[in-house]
Amino acid sequence: MAHSSGHEAEQHGLQPRQYLLIGLALTLITLVELWVSYSGMPYGLLVGTLMILSAVKFVVVVAYFMHLRFESSLMTKLFAGSFVLAALIMFALLALFWGDLATGIRANRIPPGETAPPPASAPAKAH
Amino acid sequence: MAHAPAVVHSGRHQTSTGTDNRKLLMWMFLGSECLFFGSLIASYLIFKNDVIARGVGPFAHLVVIGGEEQHGVLDIPLTSVSTFVLLMSSVTMVFAVYGAQQRLPKMMKLALLATIILGIGFLGFQVFEFRTFGAEGLNLGTNLFGATFFVLTGFHGTHVGIGVLYLACLLAGSFRRTGLGPEAGHHVEIAGLYWHFVDIVWIVIFTIIYLIPG
Repeated sequence: MAHSSGHEAEQHGLQPRQYLLIGLALTLITLVELWVSYSGMPYGLLVGTLMILSAVKFVVVVAYFMHLRFESSLMTKLFAGSFVLAALIMFALLALFWGDLATGIRANRIPPGETAPPPASAPAKAH
Repeated sequence: MAHAPAVVHSGRHQTSTGTDNRKLLMWMFLGSECLFFGSLIASYLIFKNDVIARGVGPFAHLVVIGGEEQHGVLDIPLTSVSTFVLLMSSVTMVFAVYGAQQRLPKMMKLALLATIILGIGFLGFQVFEFRTFGAEGLNLGTNLFGATFFVLTGFHGTHVGIGVLYLACLLAGSFRRTGLGPEAGHHVEIAGLYWHFVDIVWIVIFTIIYLIPG
């Protein structure tokens, strides 16, 4: 519930018990994420599930711990706008370099028995 | 959900937006941080597979190169523990904000102290992880995976470190005779916004770097 006044917004929040329950929920989601990452499910499903769980944790922390749910809509617009802009920049960068990304993903899917492409260059010396 | 009792702040700044300018400034700063970390995460996603395409490790996760399994350096169980530590620091931080807003100085101080300790604990995990990677031959200059990984997680760790100092300053200030003053709730709430942001950035990093293989 967003409020139009910042003064009103400051008068809202949750009780400590509710914050504890949210912390417990976040912990449980993290455990589910861990289980999913080791479950061996198909790659697309695994990525989708992990992204959704991560998004849920993100939204819960922003809404309840950062109190954005109780803040002025100006704050929500400001943060959501920045987040969307950041996501667009990420997609733009990934689209620009999709060739490199796809090469890496294909290389990561080399089935046993097949040969990996030869190294394009010698490995850099570790410091 | 039930709402907490009303809180009265004295000496509030009246603004044309109806919100406190300091809080608005913090939200604007966090918005700019979204762009910063978004670019770093995109760079990591683009370059992490370069090392696989070249067939030269160390690798992030278990990969099969030419039919042979190559182990990954990322220790997911260990990082899950450090993620839990950072999540719990967000819970203690929100208690500190609650204590400051409800004028419960003892609760605020204890929660701030707990948050600082948990933040230092998270940094300890990160130092251990970095040292382990160094022992395995992965550092900032080894390959593009190492470069983007250390820049991304290093900047996040720096943010946690700055957050620990920020909270330590607030805690030290709370021990003055006047405490944090009549606007204690406001000061701690703004620090809390920064701390929770550091937490949500790690939520994204943990999923993208550690949990999603390949």
